[in-house]
Amino acid sequence: MINRYGLILISAWLLLLGGCQSVPTQPVAGGAVAQQPGEAASVAPEPGPVMSNNRAVIALLGLAQRDSAAGKPETAGASLERALRIEPRNPWLWHELAQLRLTQGQYAQAITLAQKSSSFAGSERHLQALNWRLIGNARVAQGDSAGAEQAFQRASELEQAGS
Amino acid sequence: MKLPFWPRNKTSFSSNSKSYAKPLRLIVLLLLLGLSGYIFYLDVTIREAFEGRKFALPARVYGRALEVYPGLKLTPAQFVEELKRVGYHENPQPEQAATYKYTVTGVDFTSRDFVFGDGPQAAQHVRIEFAEGRVSLLQLRGDTPADLPILRMEPPLIGGIYPGHNEDRELLRLDQVPKPLIDSLLAVEDRKFYTHWGISPRGIARALYKTVTGQRIEGGSTLTQQLVKNFFLTSERTLSRKANEVLMSLLLEMHYDKDVILETYLNEIFLGQDASRAIHGFGLASHFYFDRPLERLELQEIATLVGMVKGPGVYDPRKHAENALKRRNVVLQEMVSQNVITQAQFVAARQKPLGVIQRAPTGTSPYPAFLQFVQRQLQHDYREEDLRSVGLRIFTTLDPYIQHQAETALQQRLTALEKARKNAANTLEGAVVVSSTQNGEIQAVVGGREARYAGFNRAIDAQRPIGSLAKPIVYLTALEQPERYTLITPLDDSALVWKQRGTTDWKPQNYDRQFHGQVQLRTALAHSYNVSTARLGIALGIEHILDKLPRYGIDRQPPPFASSMLGAYDLSPIEVAQLYQTFADNGFRTPLRAIREVVAADGKPLQRYPLNVEPVAAAAPVYLLTAALQGVVSEGTAQSLANWLPAELHVAGKTGTTDELRDSWFAGYSGDHVAVVWVGRDDNKPTGLTGASGAMTVWGEMMKNIQPEPLQPAVPEDIETVNVDPLSGLRYESDCKAGVLLPFIKGSAPAEVSPCGTPSADAVKTGDNAQVKPADVKHGDVKKDAEKKNWFQRLFN
Repeated sequence: MINRYGLILISAWLLLLGGCQSVPTQPVAGGAVAQQPGEAASVAPEPGPVMSNNRAVIALLGLAQRDSAAGKPETAGASLERALRIEPRNPWLWHELAQLRLTQGQYAQAITLAQKSSSFAGSERHLQALNWRLIGNARVAQGDSAGAEQAFQRASELEQAGS
Repeated sequence: MKLPFWPRNKTSFSSNSKSYAKPLRLIVLLLLLGLSGYIFYLDVTIREAFEGRKFALPARVYGRALEVYPGLKLTPAQFVEELKRVGYHENPQPEQAATYKYTVTGVDFTSRDFVFGDGPQAAQHVRIEFAEGRVSLLQLRGDTPADLPILRMEPPLIGGIYPGHNEDRELLRLDQVPKPLIDSLLAVEDRKFYTHWGISPRGIARALYKTVTGQRIEGGSTLTQQLVKNFFLTSERTLSRKANEVLMSLLLEMHYDKDVILETYLNEIFLGQDASRAIHGFGLASHFYFDRPLERLELQEIATLVGMVKGPGVYDPRKHAENALKRRNVVLQEMVSQNVITQAQFVAARQKPLGVIQRAPTGTSPYPAFLQFVQRQLQHDYREEDLRSVGLRIFTTLDPYIQHQAETALQQRLTALEKARKNAANTLEGAVVVSSTQNGEIQAVVGGREARYAGFNRAIDAQRPIGSLAKPIVYLTALEQPERYTLITPLDDSALVWKQRGTTDWKPQNYDRQFHGQVQLRTALAHSYNVSTARLGIALGIEHILDKLPRYGIDRQPPPFASSMLGAYDLSPIEVAQLYQTFADNGFRTPLRAIREVVAADGKPLQRYPLNVEPVAAAAPVYLLTAALQGVVSEGTAQSLANWLPAELHVAGKTGTTDELRDSWFAGYSGDHVAVVWVGRDDNKPTGLTGASGAMTVWGEMMKNIQPEPLQPAVPEDIETVNVDPLSGLRYESDCKAGVLLPFIKGSAPAEVSPCGTPSADAVKTGDNAQVKPADVKHGDVKKDAEKKNWFQRLFN
């Protein structure tokens, strides 16, 4: 049951990420995750990437999404860390944690975790682009507009190369 | 308000003035004042004691909770070991919480209710099955079994942080205490508890009589008096002590109602001693003697505990079983005569054995070294008194399985080393730290070969020169300049005299007392050449290198001498683990953590210690460093690690040996663990061990049993793999079989392609990027002999 709920939330989450992509220069600080997942879920879902083949990890991601949406980022972080103990090299999990830190206003951590995600992302350009976009958003929030611009530039390049 | 009365009083005094009456009145007044002052003092004392003790609850420290899920590498034996560790009992009908039974392919069990940092988890009836060393099925048992994606087991209790005199207790509310216990306690100890004022006049009269007739003062104490006595634990039995006790009991009864006093009594009363830990209260005593919560005790077991109130030493059911049994039956007798139990219950209970578990569950931690580290981390954030009294629940990262492997490996290897070298037994000491590569969680800390002994904690407190363990910092600094240095850059390993103001001339020597001319960078690290490393460090700038230590999490500042680059400064094993953590984690620094979260007694989360990552070194140079450290194991000073670990694991590591063989170190990492081992002597005398012949053997033995994941670092995007001649370093076409594949930061690999030549015998290699045995161009054969000798020596000396 947790599992199904989790999957719904994950797809909602991915859609939100998709939403962020279309407005690159807007920081998502203040809660991409908290932004009414129900509304996003009503958009016809595109098939997202498989974040893990391990059902335990998927279940924990679901828990994290639920707690994050419920305004409990600390608990959500703990669930993501549990998932990372099972799959320490899963770039999606690192990305999720980066996203969470971004919504918590921990911009430096968000940037580092996104970098870490990319270090495990291999040839997944889509995810690398998401990470650069996240870094861009964090830099905007930090007031580093030049750095943000660079990050968004990298993201666009990766998206184009990937498409 | 008082003033108007004053003159009148004064007048009445003066009108009554007779020469002797005045001083008498004054004396009486002073006496009364003194007495009330004294009573006031007693009142404050007893109330403070009562309020203070009422809530003194030790912090409970838990290890990591085992997470079980289909696909997890786990055997049935390991799983049952974990069940036992968290206090499960085998039962043919495993429907009660914390019971299990074996099935054909796995285990059926029922978990407990448990409150984690992120909320409560209800007990569940679970089935787990195993196949080929992994969990193959996990489901909820029932009419329609449901698959579980993951189950978090209850974490093992690994220790406590106790108040004052190491008092341990488990706090119970009065309504949690079984009625037979209260009934029997009152029947035996204080029948009039609910009606008296805190003292028993008859008891006091008897005590007075005995004092007057010169007999021992004893007995006659109400529960209230016993409680007061317990607050000020002392065996002193004087009249004044007794008088204080009486006064304090009366005061206590004035302030608090009977139920509060009884509840405190039940939690406070001293019921035994476990080494340095005092067992207080019936809640803990129930676990200590019967390994079950109070509500699951049988009548005769309750009677045993109640019987012990009279004298926990004399009636200790483990040490004096006969006394305890007699006393228990006296209590049962009393219960039946007071109509607390029926005749039938009495007869049945009387026939049962004591049923005490022989080995008490360890209360003082079995992992003192780890617990000490936890406590130090906590002291940054909590007041000592809160740690000891407000019942915090502390969730830590300790993995009992890994801890066990670390302890066993250290113990066995040190004993074996002493035996093989005919050294006196127990002269060698050691320490081990194991952490998780990706998140910096400390999984094991061993502070000495006597791992249960809470003495000198070498893992944290032993500061020893780290020797060659410091070299990777020099090499990383070099590799961060790809335009100057690659893995195959030739280094100068010829004699060096270094003059520096403030210190004597420095003439570094190699371990084999030879110089090796031109050697490739990776070879110099693999064989831990001191001279070429020193020259490299000097070229890079001594201060530049030493200034980097804080970045890798080392706060200690070594002296600004060239010898510091070769590790002539002291670090503790845990600091070394922090240093290597960054290398293992691709240049991300994660502060080592032992605590995940702290939760208040009521389950409210107080503090989390989340994963915190900081990039402190670029990924590509660290990738090259790791490749070089893998070379240390595959072809360098740590070759004999192959006796423990298969080459496919590609672990990276570094040996460290200090002057006159005083310290033997090994630090290294696999895909999932960073581990550091130190071996030496407490008196700092030479051990005759190199890093490879001492610490590395502990490391190998431990890792073999932990079964680590292979080390395959993620390849950074600016790394390319190039086929080169292992001797000359010239580039080959990628299909040339004579070459060896080595990683380079893009743009730094040799550009010029040479024809695929006839390789030297040493350099034959087939394909993959495993390093070949490198040989120094000029001294290849000579060096090989030396190597063999060293290897042989390392293994057997």
